[in-house]
Amino acid sequence: MKKSWLYVSLALVVILATLLAACGPQPTTPTEEGTAPPPEEDEPVTLRVGTTYIWDTANPTFGWYNYTLRYLLYDTLVEEAGISDFVPGLAEEWEVSDDGLVWTFKIREGVTFHDGTPCTAEDVAWSLNWTIENEIETFSFYLYNFQEVVALDDTTLQVTLSEPVGNMEYLLMYVWILPRSVWGEMSYDEIMEFEDMAAGIGTGPYKLVEWVEGEYLIIEANEDYWRGAPAIDRIVWQEFATEDAAVQALIAGEIDAIAADTIPTTAVQTLEAAANIEVAVMESTTIDELIINSHENGTQPESLWDPAVRLAIAYAIDKRQIVNVAYLGFAEPATVIVPSSLGDWHNSDIEDIPFDPEAGARVLEEAGYVDSDNDGIREDADGNPLEYRLYATEGASNARILEIISDGLAQVGISAPPTLMDEDSLIGLYPAFDFDMVYWGWGLDPDPDFAMLIFTCDQREEGGWSDSGYCDEAFEEMYFEQAVTVDHEARRQIIWEMQEKLFEDRPYIVLTYANTIQAYRSDRFTDFGLEAGDILWKASILPAHAVE
Amino acid sequence: MKRRNYVLRKVVFAFFTLLAVLVFNFFLFRVLPGDPVRLIIHSPRMTREAQERIRIQFGLDRPVWFDAEALREGDLARAVDTQFTAYVRNLLRGNLGISFASRRDVSDMLVERAWRTVVLVLGGDVIAIVFGMALGLIAAWRRGTRLDTTILLAALFSWALPTFFLGIILLILARGHLPVGGMATPGLKPEDGLTYWLDVGKHLILPTLTMGIVYTSEYILIMRSGVMEVLAEDYILTAKAKGLSTLRVLRDHALKNAMLPMVTMIALTFGYTVGGAIQVETVFSWPGLGRLMYEAVEKRDYPVLQGIFLLLAVSVILANLLADLLYAVLDPRVKGN
Repeated sequence: MKKSWLYVSLALVVILATLLAACGPQPTTPTEEGTAPPPEEDEPVTLRVGTTYIWDTANPTFGWYNYTLRYLLYDTLVEEAGISDFVPGLAEEWEVSDDGLVWTFKIREGVTFHDGTPCTAEDVAWSLNWTIENEIETFSFYLYNFQEVVALDDTTLQVTLSEPVGNMEYLLMYVWILPRSVWGEMSYDEIMEFEDMAAGIGTGPYKLVEWVEGEYLIIEANEDYWRGAPAIDRIVWQEFATEDAAVQALIAGEIDAIAADTIPTTAVQTLEAAANIEVAVMESTTIDELIINSHENGTQPESLWDPAVRLAIAYAIDKRQIVNVAYLGFAEPATVIVPSSLGDWHNSDIEDIPFDPEAGARVLEEAGYVDSDNDGIREDADGNPLEYRLYATEGASNARILEIISDGLAQVGISAPPTLMDEDSLIGLYPAFDFDMVYWGWGLDPDPDFAMLIFTCDQREEGGWSDSGYCDEAFEEMYFEQAVTVDHEARRQIIWEMQEKLFEDRPYIVLTYANTIQAYRSDRFTDFGLEAGDILWKASILPAHAVE
Repeated sequence: MKRRNYVLRKVVFAFFTLLAVLVFNFFLFRVLPGDPVRLIIHSPRMTREAQERIRIQFGLDRPVWFDAEALREGDLARAVDTQFTAYVRNLLRGNLGISFASRRDVSDMLVERAWRTVVLVLGGDVIAIVFGMALGLIAAWRRGTRLDTTILLAALFSWALPTFFLGIILLILARGHLPVGGMATPGLKPEDGLTYWLDVGKHLILPTLTMGIVYTSEYILIMRSGVMEVLAEDYILTAKAKGLSTLRVLRDHALKNAMLPMVTMIALTFGYTVGGAIQVETVFSWPGLGRLMYEAVEKRDYPVLQGIFLLLAVSVILANLLADLLYAVLDPRVKGN
């Protein structure tokens, strides 16, 4: 016996491995790549979505991930059909009093929550008031201005504001209507600890069925959805640890679509070459920018305040090259902070400063910055060289971008060696505004308000969102004016002026407007909407259906 | 007597290492820059009161180390009512706090993920130990032959391969035949019995193979050099001279002595099981502890990270202790000193 233990265990392992390989259930995936499994009778139409992270929690009151999925569960009074394109949701229509303070909404009739309880104007009013009272983290701040919310009858909701707002549709687009039957009896602490799948109950086109953390999540069509049951019966979200794995799974036919922000630009070519896969390139609200420290108590050198220096920096940045290198062409060179995807909020009159190092050098020369000691770096009148700190967070793509910026700056006579640091360390520099220039990127809301808010003086206080330290009286005035301007055209004019002001003062040099890239199996599904910048967005997925 | 001293010393040492880790683990996450509340709260217009509520929920309203002011006032109870004492108190109750992101109990999350990692790693470990020892033994016995050279080169080559690289290559090769990632086909649950486990088995093949290949080479190399060293000893020559069969020489004389470094290796392998699977779990989207750690780092979910670090440290310390104790049993030379 003892003699053969080695052989026995060897044999066992081999047998085990063979068993596992041979006896597994027949693959649900096609063995031949690029062909769809044959459709089975009575099988529900299932869309399998690959993503790198499903979400943090089913609880909508503090969950910050996967709004795409959450919007399939819940409804809002107003919906977004395309970026910044607002259409009626649970509210069929609305009107506003002349002073802009009283808004009256007609609420859709016959709508029910997934648990069967009705959703009348009364229930909508309860949900909004509950959100305000409990200061629900994820969306209460959109209602900061709401003084009173009442239901006049079953289909009429009246909202009274403390002051007019210019972006009511946008504000309401963020506030999910939740059922009193689930949340009504809970204390604040109970709300914050609620983990049950009932947290997914809303009036949306899909019902939350099952979630296994780290693995998958299943939602099923709501047959009683007020627009009618959606064509896709079931959506399964499967989690992959890397973007590449999701791409491989799509090519193998294990999944049918990939969530937004999950396809690396380097994989696009492979996907386009693969059979039966459609790649969708869409506009997004993501911008990349170079932040120039504009805080009067910041640690930046005096010369960085000089408009001539900031203009020269703008001349020195090759945005086209950044688009090609960092985004492989899947972005546009940017001008102002509001991206073109936001429709007419984007100031399209502004002509960008071209990449022209010679012009940049001339600007500096004329402003009195000359290279007196011939080291390639210009000095100001006091002999201080134009040397700046240039930071970004770690990452291969960020390293290339900083190099492009740094090389360009060297050509106009500015020294800015690139420094990459970890995100915590970079954020740690903010309270003291201890930096000169930072490369950064983020996604805007579909309304320009927040993008403007971050340049107001209050946002520089602790807990604020200012990253440039910018503070300007004229800008501030415009901000508060646009906030209360209800008329779209009047507000648009102010927003355009504000963009121009920022473009000239340059707390930001906006570099790129990025695209969203998604892909799906065109042999299984078709007719996804593309306007919202996400093929899985409620407005995009409702028209989609299985290929016959 | 001396052996008892040895065991006692090792246990005491492990205990103090553990204590040091506990304290270090607490401060590691407090020296990081930034207010943790900013990591929990995402809303720009949240009122101060609401922020305070969350601060209290996570115990962040209390001082970190000790309350110097309360101490001056002579209020000792308040002076030690700090985040640190809360941490120690909770630890003793097995409570690791709640996640910033999901607000779930960290202990629950760890338990959920740990068994998945164990399922993943066990197969790879067993393959590595069995094949590694066997091949290492053969290579040492046939030292200098073409067989030895082949095994040695293959082992060096696969050991030098980065785990994630090997994993991605296997993944692309097997695409369409074996699942790209995950632990089971979405929708299948342990309640489905055999169907579920066979499906898990299919999902296990690639990651197990990857881990098996990488770890096997490590075992081969150590086993080979260990056995070769032993084979050069005089008592092997004596055994051969006595006319014992090759198998008996190897089994009774060489293998037993070469096992000592292997015991350490095996213990350490199991000790690092928890953390060692990060790369494999990431390549194959396996929902285990490694993935959880990777995600927690990305989200800066400090309570979860703290819990995982603790688990890692404890398992490595315990595995080391186990190896030390096994030594005392296996090697009569290990005594007092």
